[in-house]
Amino acid sequence: MKSLVIFILAIVFIGCTKEHQFDARELHLISPEKIAGLDPIHASDRYSGLEVGKVYEGLFEFHPLKRPYELMPNLAEALPQVAKDGLTYTFKIKEGVLFHDSPAFPEGKGRELEARDFIYSFKRLADPKLSAKGWWLFDGKVKGLNEWREKSSKEETTDYSAEIEGFKVTGKYTFQIKLVKPYPQFLYALAMPYSYVVAQEAVTHFGPEFLNHPVGTGPFILPKYEQSNKIVYTKNPNFRVKFYPSEGEEGDEKLGLLSDAGKKIPLVDRITVYVIVESQPKWLGFQKAKFDVIELDETQADQALTEERVIKPEFRNLGMRLVSSPQIDISFFAFNNEDKIFKDVRVRQAMSLAYDRKEANKLFQKGTGVIAQSIIPPGLAGYESEFKNPYVAFDVEQAKKLLSEAGYPEGKGFPEVTVQTRNETIARHQIEFFAKCMEKIGIKVQVGMNTWPELINKVSKKQHQMYTMAWGADYPDAENFLGLVYCPNKAPGSNGSNYCNPEVDKMFEEAVILQDGEERTAKYKALNEKIALEVPWIFGFHRTKFSLTQAWVKNYKFMEFNHNQAQYLNVDFEVKKELRKKF
Amino acid sequence: MTNYIIRRLLYLIPVLLGVSFLIFLLFNVVAGDPTAVLLGKNATARQMEELREQLGLNKPLFMQYLDVVKSAFTFDFGRSWATKQEITYMLKQGAYPSLTLTIPAFVISTVLSLFISLFVAYYRGKGIDLFIRFLCIAGMSVSALAYILGFQWLFAYKLGWFEISGFEYGFPEFLPYIALPAIIWIILSLGPDVRFFRTVILDEIYQDYVRTARAKGLGEMTILLKHVLRNAMIPIITYTVIQIPFLILGALLLENFFGIPGIGGMTLNALNNSDFPVIKAMAILSSVVYIIFSLVSDILYTIADPRVKLK
Repeated sequence: MKSLVIFILAIVFIGCTKEHQFDARELHLISPEKIAGLDPIHASDRYSGLEVGKVYEGLFEFHPLKRPYELMPNLAEALPQVAKDGLTYTFKIKEGVLFHDSPAFPEGKGRELEARDFIYSFKRLADPKLSAKGWWLFDGKVKGLNEWREKSSKEETTDYSAEIEGFKVTGKYTFQIKLVKPYPQFLYALAMPYSYVVAQEAVTHFGPEFLNHPVGTGPFILPKYEQSNKIVYTKNPNFRVKFYPSEGEEGDEKLGLLSDAGKKIPLVDRITVYVIVESQPKWLGFQKAKFDVIELDETQADQALTEERVIKPEFRNLGMRLVSSPQIDISFFAFNNEDKIFKDVRVRQAMSLAYDRKEANKLFQKGTGVIAQSIIPPGLAGYESEFKNPYVAFDVEQAKKLLSEAGYPEGKGFPEVTVQTRNETIARHQIEFFAKCMEKIGIKVQVGMNTWPELINKVSKKQHQMYTMAWGADYPDAENFLGLVYCPNKAPGSNGSNYCNPEVDKMFEEAVILQDGEERTAKYKALNEKIALEVPWIFGFHRTKFSLTQAWVKNYKFMEFNHNQAQYLNVDFEVKKELRKKF
Repeated sequence: MTNYIIRRLLYLIPVLLGVSFLIFLLFNVVAGDPTAVLLGKNATARQMEELREQLGLNKPLFMQYLDVVKSAFTFDFGRSWATKQEITYMLKQGAYPSLTLTIPAFVISTVLSLFISLFVAYYRGKGIDLFIRFLCIAGMSVSALAYILGFQWLFAYKLGWFEISGFEYGFPEFLPYIALPAIIWIILSLGPDVRFFRTVILDEIYQDYVRTARAKGLGEMTILLKHVLRNAMIPIITYTVIQIPFLILGALLLENFFGIPGIGGMTLNALNNSDFPVIKAMAILSSVVYIIFSLVSDILYTIADPRVKLK
């Protein structure tokens, strides 16, 4: 009884809230998903990539301010020299870059980064025993790498010392990569977290626990990663000299995004990332200034923004800033094009015409989505804002006509269609709305709710008629989207719609090997238009991302590929102290 | 009694074999291929095949069953497929936050419910009894999610009495974080607990020995505490002890909404990621703990009622 009273008293008296420090250069960020360890080769989702990007670095990174996204050297001294045939890339890396201090190195002192570290890191990505999620970036691209992988899969241990034709260390700070065929997206691949550099000593020292002991060259250190609700990074004291950019896109200066131009980064001393899955605690915590930045989900956006999608006065008065940015993504209803009913293009076109996208946009995105006319999203070469897909317009009569021509007048004889989706209320509502649209042309649609693994399994085993999904860009090249309807990628690959069209495949193969330029853009546009008319999916929307930042957060600009963003963020703690009493 | 305990513990062997078989059927035979989920959106057929080989999913089914049996008996669950971490380590990490929430909340709610039940039993049929029964039913009619969202908004956000979410390891650092979820747990438990305990106590109150005690002139409170409660203990023990294994599994909703990195959230994450080794580990551990606590409740029967003999 006595202990019970003590416990209750303890709750009453100790159960007060803790205040954040208002005078420290510290950022409080949110991760809405649990992080599966900090090994770059497994950083497949955006949130793992964000954490990996605080500790590790790659040869290149995307400019934090410029749009369209611009690749710039990071650990590389400059962009590589590319041979005339487009197959041999020569890289020179920065000198004097140090790995974090770690017991993996002699006397615990981080050693200098060398060219061989990159070759080792790329080989790790290809090691079949590690089942790296990023293998697809190098699969079939580098001379001799697939053969090495094949050989390694048959051996007890992987031989990292084996020579590979495509990888050649030419000096302490220089190396060459030889490709099998031109692969202009290769440099983007080298900016992705998968290809961030690790030290062999650290991997060997920590063995299978390496993912919990990140040792990179990045701006922040994290001596030990624990599966917890909080990750605390501190500034890397040995980080090389790197400066905040002095250029951005138009309007950045006015937004204060260049006020730290020329300053040494990272700009904050400490970052705490809180893993919070549910929506309400994130939103309430943000309003209490526990967190500095929040990417708004649907519910939060409804609370923070007006119908017109501008920030509500009560939040604006606290100095909070709304950052809205079009995402490089696409949401869609995919047909299983191997299902005989969907082999007829008229059926696909009819269903696309019967889908009322304007209403769907209003209902599910408050009108902020950009209606997708085809597969390439805005922000990428190949996207045409003037292009209008005739099968994206809402036209029930035309839809009925096409369906009738396909042999299903008023939908008679058309089988019931099940659209598979994820177990989420919003997804169900979207399909219910889709079903209502299809009813108008006599097609009955059922909702198939699945857990994420179930949905992935159905798609990869072609056990679906239709499914809904969204695809976000891995890198800023339309190839990343066009590949979703490329026949060799069909299930279990990324072409879950199993769309196969030799003409499309040929156009794709011709376009993707070209270096960025007018010719390639023209080919991408032609391909985009061809795909639009073929309707392998019912194109949905390119969505808009809304984020709110506290008044004291500086330099935040939404980045699709923001793995390295944290080092550019800053905190104005004078403003923070000033606003303290308002929270 | 020793023989009984040894025999019950030996029952663990066939139970574990049965559980292993069920788990094997569910995850190795019925469940879909996890490799597509594990490898992410750009997985290739070749890569999936390689991963299947690595995870042992290409082995003959009998060998796969033996692997499950082995992990059930050695408690060596290997590494998580999704996080690549040692499952034993993950369980240790998750058990601390889960238990710091569930144990105090469970103890307080059980003791409190017992007191309230005795109180309402004492005033049975009177206004206060009706009022508390009404409160219990009303409380049970509201969904747990409503309590969580409402209390988090009111007490943590609006009034600022508690932390909105998060967790700190170590005492008393964790208290501000578990206080509100613990209170919600207690409120959620009070309704069903009080109703059950009250019914059990009232069953006893109308027994002949109570009438005899009253005839002998014993006070109502003495009868309740010394005689009725003791005789009502068997169903109360059964009801209470059998809940303990579920404490170890954590409180899924509370952990998720309050950002507590416990076992509940870990299990949910494993389900979402087709992380079979973690799910298998949780299933095996749950059944072992369940058996152990049902044995504990048997032993407690002998303490509560000396007439009970374990043979």
